[in-house]
Amino acid sequence: MKLLALLPVLAVAALAAEYKVALPGYRFEFPRDHFDHPDFKTEWWYYTGNLATKEGRRFGFELTFFRQAVDRPEKRTSIWQVDDLFLAHFAVSDIQERRFFYWERLNRRGPGIAGADEAEKRIWNGNWEVRWRGDIQQLQAIVEDFSVRLSMTPRKPPVIHGINGVSQKAAGPGRASHYVSFSRLEATGVILVSGREYRVEGSAWMDHEFFTNQLGEDQSGWDWFSLQLEDNTELMLFRLRRKDGTVDPYSAGTYIDSAGSARYLRRSDLRLTPLETWESAKTGAKYPIRWQIEVAPLQLRLLVSTPLRSQEVVNRNSWTPSYWEGAIDAEGRMGERPVRGRGYLEMAGYDRPVQFGGK
Amino acid sequence: MSWFPLFVRFFLRPLRQEPVRTALTAFAIALGVGVVLAIDLAGTSAAGSFRASLEALAGSADFEVTGIGGVPPEVLARLATVPLPIKVTPRIEDYARVESTGETVPLIGVDWVASAPAGGGEGTSFAGKGVWVGPRLASKKGARLRLLVNDLSVEYVVRGILSETPGAGEAGNVIVMDLAEADQALGRQGRLDRILIDVPESGELEHWESQLRSELPEGLSLERFGARTEENRRMLAAFRWNLRILSYIALVVGAFLIYNTISVSVVRRRAEIGIVRALGATRRGILVAFLGEAALLGAIGAVPGLVLGRLMAEGAVQLVAGTVGSLYVSSTPAPIELTPASALLSLCAGIGVALASSLGPAREASAVPPVEAMARGRVDYHSRINARRNLTLAVLLALAGTLAAWLPPVAGKPLFGYLAALVLIASASLAIPALVSAVSRGASALARRLLGVEAFMASRGLAASLHRTSVLVGALATAIAMVVSVGVMVGSFRETVLLWMDDQLRADLYVRPAGAGSADRHPVMSPEVPDLIEKVPGVAAVDRFRALRISYHGLPATLGAGETQVALRFGRTRFLSGTREEALSRLPGGDSVIVSEPFANKHKVGKGDFVELALGGTTRRFEILGVYYDYANERGTIMMDRSTLLKYLPDPSPSSVAVYLEPERDIETVRAELERAVAGRRVLITSNRALRREAIRIFDRTFAITYALEAVAVAVAVMGIGGALLALVVDRRREFGLLRFLGASAGQVRQLILFEAGLLGLLANLAGFVLGAALSLVLIYVINKQSFGWTIQFHWPVAVLLAALSLIDAATIAAGLYPARVAARLRPVEVIHEE
Repeated sequence: MKLLALLPVLAVAALAAEYKVALPGYRFEFPRDHFDHPDFKTEWWYYTGNLATKEGRRFGFELTFFRQAVDRPEKRTSIWQVDDLFLAHFAVSDIQERRFFYWERLNRRGPGIAGADEAEKRIWNGNWEVRWRGDIQQLQAIVEDFSVRLSMTPRKPPVIHGINGVSQKAAGPGRASHYVSFSRLEATGVILVSGREYRVEGSAWMDHEFFTNQLGEDQSGWDWFSLQLEDNTELMLFRLRRKDGTVDPYSAGTYIDSAGSARYLRRSDLRLTPLETWESAKTGAKYPIRWQIEVAPLQLRLLVSTPLRSQEVVNRNSWTPSYWEGAIDAEGRMGERPVRGRGYLEMAGYDRPVQFGGK
Repeated sequence: MSWFPLFVRFFLRPLRQEPVRTALTAFAIALGVGVVLAIDLAGTSAAGSFRASLEALAGSADFEVTGIGGVPPEVLARLATVPLPIKVTPRIEDYARVESTGETVPLIGVDWVASAPAGGGEGTSFAGKGVWVGPRLASKKGARLRLLVNDLSVEYVVRGILSETPGAGEAGNVIVMDLAEADQALGRQGRLDRILIDVPESGELEHWESQLRSELPEGLSLERFGARTEENRRMLAAFRWNLRILSYIALVVGAFLIYNTISVSVVRRRAEIGIVRALGATRRGILVAFLGEAALLGAIGAVPGLVLGRLMAEGAVQLVAGTVGSLYVSSTPAPIELTPASALLSLCAGIGVALASSLGPAREASAVPPVEAMARGRVDYHSRINARRNLTLAVLLALAGTLAAWLPPVAGKPLFGYLAALVLIASASLAIPALVSAVSRGASALARRLLGVEAFMASRGLAASLHRTSVLVGALATAIAMVVSVGVMVGSFRETVLLWMDDQLRADLYVRPAGAGSADRHPVMSPEVPDLIEKVPGVAAVDRFRALRISYHGLPATLGAGETQVALRFGRTRFLSGTREEALSRLPGGDSVIVSEPFANKHKVGKGDFVELALGGTTRRFEILGVYYDYANERGTIMMDRSTLLKYLPDPSPSSVAVYLEPERDIETVRAELERAVAGRRVLITSNRALRREAIRIFDRTFAITYALEAVAVAVAVMGIGGALLALVVDRRREFGLLRFLGASAGQVRQLILFEAGLLGLLANLAGFVLGAALSLVLIYVINKQSFGWTIQFHWPVAVLLAALSLIDAATIAAGLYPARVAARLRPVEVIHEE
């Protein structure tokens, strides 16, 4: 589960239009549900992954597409009308050289500058895009001197998180999202870093969520984990933090076994313990950089750490919060069996509480 | 003996001793330098402002994509998604009028989502009618601003004040909207005016250019950023060049005066020169000392000239901007900037002209043999003029000038035309001594009989000091020739335009949007407007006209489209080549156009040639069916039938509508009906007569700067006459004293001087008129034609010329008033005792 409090617009989007909220009983239909849901206010597609060259040089990447509804007017007066804002983030972690790069872009749909279209089988923001060719998703993100081009093949079917089609985030009907993931995408391609090209392969993760006003006002931030273990299982966990410092009871997770079936994990099944913090020189935020994860029903104990501490996305403007999003390593035991894995971690609301929109 | 002490004793002292004359000469130089500087500054300011208003607001980019009638929005999507690390920035660019002040300001549509300009961002909203404005238009957020855009007046809320827009100089006066808002306000149907493209610094620009071009559909042009400014600069180059030349005329007139001053100085000090030469001064020393005097005079004049120029630039910039705006390109004058370079240039021009014009007399001075100079009396200063040799030279020069006038332009500039003018001026000044002696010989008897003995003596006196008189007459004649030639040229032009309007403006009423239009701005109105007008009883026909700004082979031009069948029925457009009936009746058929005379001249095309235009996603060749006379603008126009344009660019909004009434209909009644029919749209309905009046008003405004320059040149010349007469009086003290001694009254001496002044004026008028007539031919048929490409029918503006010439003569006589008083006050006894 991931979120960015979206931009100045949220404050302004006093909307005449009524949006749907995520309610139990939603029936996902694929591939339709991999693309956009304009009836919902917010939607995102998150791609993260751990890649390496044959020689073992390691990279992490993040490419995310957001859609935030602004207006749903009855009559269209201009092709440039801003009905939705499309925000995208792109980040590259060069683990060996201990460097982290990120970019942001914001666009309107306009004549096709950005969108998420089923007919075109494409989710894009300018020349950052993911195109579907059958089951294969082709990812491309280009900026000056950096680019990522990957071909990603799902090794497991999409996973629907939560219960009965909804991933509840706070008390009350509709305080939830529809949340679907590709937890294991086999990725091969090319990554260009500082003008140098590397052939890479590895494993990626894709999250897709859509909702309207899912979080509660007493919540201040979250920690989200995606882990791909070497025994061909995956784990998704999120911990919602409240303003009073406690952990929200709606924190939850999903375990996907090697056959691809999902098991819902509730708050009481999980124990996430921060072990060490890293202070960002840019924002002053203190991010927990090492974690202990315990999932009692699975008899799973993992120690999570990062190969690169500074993977913070610092926002240029004053409205969007900064967050930490980066590659992680995990090591531990399931029962008596040792397990290892890699994944991505997102931590938000550490520089200041995340403002939730829709007021 | 070094030249310096010589210089101090010899020249600084006399300069001090005759402060009035020194001041007059210096002031003449100051005026000359001032005018040159003022025109330079004003030209830069008026021309530079176009860049400031639109391109400066764009910041910088590497490339820009444009297209006739705009760039389709899909092109932006295509460029934004190509797998290249480029940045694309869409823009809509137009103008709006602020209703409260009537000021026309740039209106820019930007992608506020992707790139909100700095300083205006927070609290961004996309709902409602919002604008961001420069600090000069509103001071706080939330203010209301009513804008007239095309034919609609709409109220906007100020969402933010732009504080840090690039090109802050002009940002005070800009209105920025989000693309969606601008699109709606201007009715662009999503089309953009420009897409700016930034490419990474790595890699050759040529490489990027070819890559980008392959991504673009046909019919759009991809150019290096700044191409528009470059085009405007090129277009304005001829205009600015001609203006600059015109500004130098005052300086040329000033040169005559310096020449006169130094000559007088040389003649007067022959004895002194003889003495210092006898005491050991070298020829070179004398030469340098006289040149030093000239340089000093030049500098004394040039320095206040800088101040004067800066002051005059304020006025000049308005005039120049008016001309630029009505002929070429929208311009709000940028602030005037006096750069060290232009100051230095003007200084050098002033001193240089002084040095050059004194070279002759100074060499004459250095050639004085000591003995001869000392032997001769101080009063004996008759210069020897070889009138015959000069006359022969004058004829040869006149021939050379005539020949030069036939030569073609050099790099688009009428260099030989100006050379011809210069040679003709030189020829005239060489012929002047012959004219002066002939006239004074012939006229003195007549003068005596008609005007009395004072007139007789004045006439003889001028002939007696032939050298000096000739220089004075030459200076004034040059100024007058300029007045005459430019007067004839402008008068002819005006008459030509009047005749042309008779043929061109045949409709009874003209309708156009109230939004700001000019040579390069073509606001449009809703297509409903002509449809409504067509239905009004009494309306026989309407001609929907659409104008678009285009570039053709690197120069700005206008693409026009009208209903040629209506024009064929009612109009009377005259053709330079091709026939009206044939050309107009063939226009609606297919890909064919007619072009205006300036366009044909600029681009060297004619009937039967083709112009290639990129229109609506394709590139087409259009056959030129004819070239028509057109004086509406200097940019040049390509005209096609409305159906042809609509075929490629399906945008039915017209820029103007000509309304033809049924015969015997009362114009005012129909006009009232029209106004009712189009109520709610901000359009201007102008009657034929009012439109012509307005056109002539614009015409006159266009040439206001020319008149101003003439006035300054004449002022310089008249001032010079005053100064020279004063010198004459001082030099002829003995003569006047003697006259008084012999019984002449003070009044008679005064009259003598005034007669001399009047005669000088008359001679100058005569010479100036002849020279001016010759120059006007060069101006009309060579310089104008080569610079601007217009055919002007020759026409004498009799009244204007008569008035100007009498005024100049009166001014010359007035300039003699003070010297006359000085002469009349001479005490005879004292003067004689001096001897």
